Amino acid sequence: MRKILLGTTAVVSAAFGAAVITPAAAQDAPTVRIGGSIQAYYGYINQNGASSNPGGTADFGRTANATPNAATGLGGYTATEFLGTNTTLTGGAAGGLNGVAAPGGAGVSLGVPTATPTGALANTTTGTGIIGTVAAAPSQGSLTNRTITTPLSATGAGAFARSGKNDFLNLPAISVIVSGKAAQGFTYGGQVDLEFNALEGNLTGGNRSSVQRSTAVVGEAYVFVAHERFGQVRMGDEDGVLGGLMNSGFVTNFGTGGVYGVWEQFQIRQSGNRTQTGPGQLGDNTKVIYMSPQFYGFDFGASYAPNGGGFGNGGCPSDTATAGCDRAYAFRGATAWAVAPAGQLGAMARRNEYQLAARYRGSFAGVGVSATAGYVGAGTAYDLSNAGAQVRTMNNLNVWQVGAQATYMGFTLGAAYYQGDYNFFWGNTIRGDRQAQTLNVGASYTSGPFTFGSNMVTGVYEGGGRSDFDAASGRLVRQSNPTAYGDRNNLASQRRWGMSVGANYRLAPGLDLIAEYVYHSVRENGRDLDAARAGIQSRGFANVFIMGSRLAF
Amino acid sequence: MRHPILAALLLTTALTACSGGRQVGNEEYGTDNARERILRGGGVNPTNAGLVVFGVDRNQQTEQGGPGAMRVNAYLWRATLETLSSMPFASVDPFGGVIITDWYSHPTADGERVKVQAYVLGGQLRSDGVRVQVFRQIYRNGQWVDQPASSATNSEMEDRVLAAARELRTQTTASR
Repeated sequence: MRKILLGTTAVVSAAFGAAVITPAAAQDAPTVRIGGSIQAYYGYINQNGASSNPGGTADFGRTANATPNAATGLGGYTATEFLGTNTTLTGGAAGGLNGVAAPGGAGVSLGVPTATPTGALANTTTGTGIIGTVAAAPSQGSLTNRTITTPLSATGAGAFARSGKNDFLNLPAISVIVSGKAAQGFTYGGQVDLEFNALEGNLTGGNRSSVQRSTAVVGEAYVFVAHERFGQVRMGDEDGVLGGLMNSGFVTNFGTGGVYGVWEQFQIRQSGNRTQTGPGQLGDNTKVIYMSPQFYGFDFGASYAPNGGGFGNGGCPSDTATAGCDRAYAFRGATAWAVAPAGQLGAMARRNEYQLAARYRGSFAGVGVSATAGYVGAGTAYDLSNAGAQVRTMNNLNVWQVGAQATYMGFTLGAAYYQGDYNFFWGNTIRGDRQAQTLNVGASYTSGPFTFGSNMVTGVYEGGGRSDFDAASGRLVRQSNPTAYGDRNNLASQRRWGMSVGANYRLAPGLDLIAEYVYHSVRENGRDLDAARAGIQSRGFANVFIMGSRLAF
Repeated sequence: MRHPILAALLLTTALTACSGGRQVGNEEYGTDNARERILRGGGVNPTNAGLVVFGVDRNQQTEQGGPGAMRVNAYLWRATLETLSSMPFASVDPFGGVIITDWYSHPTADGERVKVQAYVLGGQLRSDGVRVQVFRQIYRNGQWVDQPASSATNSEMEDRVLAAARELRTQTTASR
């Protein structure tokens, strides 16, 4: 009997791998920990767009509607196309867009635009909207890198302001970490991150969901099972293998991370001035991830997400099928969601996203080397014409990335380059849009408790949208040629450039003092990036100097 | 569109079938979690930090070899083992950080044998965290006679251990 059992064991071992049925592996009860971090900084901010002027003097780059809306006393300007992707279009406050409902009624702030506003913007309520007369202006069908800005109110309280240069910032976060070991030799665990620093664009719930800043928001939340022989599987809201897990070449171990640090949290993002194409910005949309063990220095990873939404089925539990449900593969206004609209859970046109990465790590004469090559691909949702036809208006997401870094005697030097079909928000480009290129270079030096470093990022992206979706004809319509300097259809590329220098002093493990300076700018020839200043301001920029401390436990 | 995934899966499966893969720790993957980044920057493994609210802090136990035990730096310990691995060990105490080799004659050095004692001092990766003492004997008139090893030999051995430790650490941190 014993022989038979042994024989069976041998056969099963051969078939499934001995480790799977190793009976002697210890079983641990899971260990649950609570950790967290607190970052407290002082910032000095010198940026454009820090002031906005009372209605009537602002210049949005297009012809002003000289007559303010009679019913509201607001306006004085037509809604114009402008890079201000950060604009809040929620209704209610003066300066907002009341009553503009998305097709499907998901309550989106700015509806999904079409060339014929009577379709998408039909619900505009006279008397509450800023765009008093929607009749002709907002033909912003394709919102690649632009939304309608909120024209300044002539009378509304709080609608315009002049901002100082000094501020404090506090970023608390709590993590619950579980780790354990199963009887079969698997290790397992999970993590839930609660962040109290809601920065639009960095949340998982929706790519641009916005909540009150102090509200607890779940960041990453995932479960993993790992085995020394088979690698690791993660599932949940987490970065992909090329969205942060296995990248090389991003040197962010100084200051708060340089151009990928907290500087964005300080600025008024009037010009859409930000570092959106960092690895982590691809999003924590719900996915499944596989990462292999390391073989001869190489390890491999792949991840898949059905869409851009977090928490599984964002927006689906409602009475009707709307674009808000991230399972929708075709919906009216998909073209406009190449850039995730603000305030929407899971709203994004990215579908079937997959990431592949291969990484090598090794050591040559004391020089630690890490290099990664990978690919991010995704399909896109289709737009729906009035007649119900599914129209493919966007390119697949199609991004190659290579990166490498080397470490020697405290020095770290790294660079990463990525190119392909993506816009500045990791969204799909509209057909006819240009490809994007991004280059990131960084270096740091650690000596004892001190770390000094610098990094830069530069990139070229699609600027003004060249095409809009016309739901009536069901076709993608190329913008007419620009007639005036500043028109959004000026067909210009958009350039972004950021650089930083920073230092940390480690007082104790987990406690740092920080000093950092970051400059970031966005330029697009002919596009007005500072509405409050007269003339066409083709550059938006921010200088941010940060000092403070951070603690993790 | 699915072909790259398929290819990657096949490749990985093929590699997995071979033995010899090393498990990649969670701390070797990138992160944009502020807590993890701060802790990693300070050389702390985020998985081992924080307040244990349920279960047992096994990582701490493993590191310390039990309550009250002396803590030995893992990089220095592994580097010392690697450096001395060509010699037979007489005694190895991972909790106290002591390695004592047996007498060993290198094939090219006839009539001479050495014995090495190495101490890993403390839990920090520091240049004075390891001490190596080399004992040397020469075969003369039919017996082994003690002969002092030069002090340069000791410090040279220590340098080798430190270099190996640094290499181990750069390998681990290259992914950060």
